[in-house]
This record gives sequence, structure tokens and C-alpha cells, in this order.
Amino acid sequence: MQSEEEQMSEALVRIFENVVLTEEKSLQAGYFNDLSIAEMHTLTAIGPYDARTMTNTAEDLGITTGTLTVAIDRLVKKGYVHRERDKRDKRIVRISLTHNGKLACRMNSKFHRVLAKHILAGYDEKDRKHLLDLVAEVDEYLAQQLRRYDSSENVRATARQVAKDTTKETK
Amino acid sequence: MGDFNTDREQVFADVIRIMAETLEISQEEITADLNFNSDLPFDSLQLYEFVIDVEERYNIRLPDEVLDQVKTVSDIVDVIMKLKK
Repeated sequence: MQSEEEQMSEALVRIFENVVLTEEKSLQAGYFNDLSIAEMHTLTAIGPYDARTMTNTAEDLGITTGTLTVAIDRLVKKGYVHRERDKRDKRIVRISLTHNGKLACRMNSKFHRVLAKHILAGYDEKDRKHLLDLVAEVDEYLAQQLRRYDSSENVRATARQVAKDTTKETK
Repeated sequence: MGDFNTDREQVFADVIRIMAETLEISQEEITADLNFNSDLPFDSLQLYEFVIDVEERYNIRLPDEVLDQVKTVSDIVDVIMKLKK
């Protein structure tokens, strides 16, 4: 018999993999089969409304602006993203979704909503609330873990930068 | 009040025009009481095409939470009237 830890750990990994796989398959079978999941997530990070800066979008996605630039180049070519320089400050690049980009983004949100709706449909109101509370706790715990690693990485990076600067100064 | 009614009529006409173009049907076939789910032949993609066109036309936001409350053509006109100010 599996221990509770094993059950939990295997379920978490399977849930993650199955959500991603289902999303990927629904993308391949749908209208937007020229988009990868990573590209769809980039569209979602930009969002269907206001234009965003490259820096803010890269931060939200947890990637560098260099990596985002490559992704945006492809999405501009495919006709999903519009890119322009800020009229006042030419150093700032703003990105927004084209009509097709908005359509893809909203269809993807709909996919997630339908998935969630079907999962919740199997429970009565009391159990739905309980399930949502538990999921929120797991979500918060995992977000905390991520922040812990992020900040220790930042601390190390800052320490490395300080060490480098100090070495330069003493030379 | 007269202005409000004229304005609403204009929004209604716009909605019918955008809807007819999206669904490729005649504008005469669309009336205020038609239901989005049971009377109008929208698939999800066409529905969002219509929604995005309306958002861009009026510079408003119609997220899914708002759309969930919309049942009929008349409802969407009411929502637009409320948001477009």
C-alpha cells in the first residue's frame, strides 16, 4: 500500500503533466494549432487588453527579456502580437495582442474554465468550497517554496555581483 | 431620456450588424429576445470574435464573468450601455 506522501507526490506530478498534456492536445486539435503551449502562455501573460512592456511580461513569465524577444519575434510573424516603441520613450517596447491573439488568449482561458467547471461539477456546494480551500492552501504553499528559491537565488546573484565589483575595485 | 433611447438604438443596430457579420446571417433574422445559447448559432470561436469586435468598437472590457450574466441580445446591449460611458 502506498504511503500518503507517495500518493500525494504522484498525484501532484500527474495533475501537472495531465493539465499540460490536455492543454497541448486541445491546442493541436483546435483553431490555433500553429501555437505551442509556451507561446499560448506568452499570449496569456500579455493579456487581451492593455499593451505591456517587455520587461513586465518577461518578469511575469519568469524568463529573461532576451528569451521573450525571441518568442515575441515568432508571435509577431505569426500575426498574434503587435509590437511598437513607446511614443515618448523610444527605449521602451510595448507589446499587445492582435485580434487573432486576443481570440487565442480567450479561447485558452475558456479551456481552463471548462476544465475547472467539469472538475467542480462532481461535488456539492459544501465539498466544492472545501476542495477550493484545500487547493488554495496547496497553491500558497508551492508559491511560498518558489519565492524561497527565487530569493535565495537573488541573494546568491547579488553576492556574486558584489564580490565581482569588490574584486574590480581592489585591482 | 430621448438621448438615451437614441443611443441604445444605435448600440442595438451596431450589435446586430457585428453579430450578422460574424455569423454570416441576415440582420433581419436577429431580434432583441434571441438567446445566445439556444437561438443564435454561435460556436465558441465566433462568440469570442463577436465579443472582441464589440470590445474594440466601444473600448470596453467584457470578461467571461460579465458574459456569464448575458443571456439575450437585449442583455448584451444593456451591458454595453452600462460600460461604454
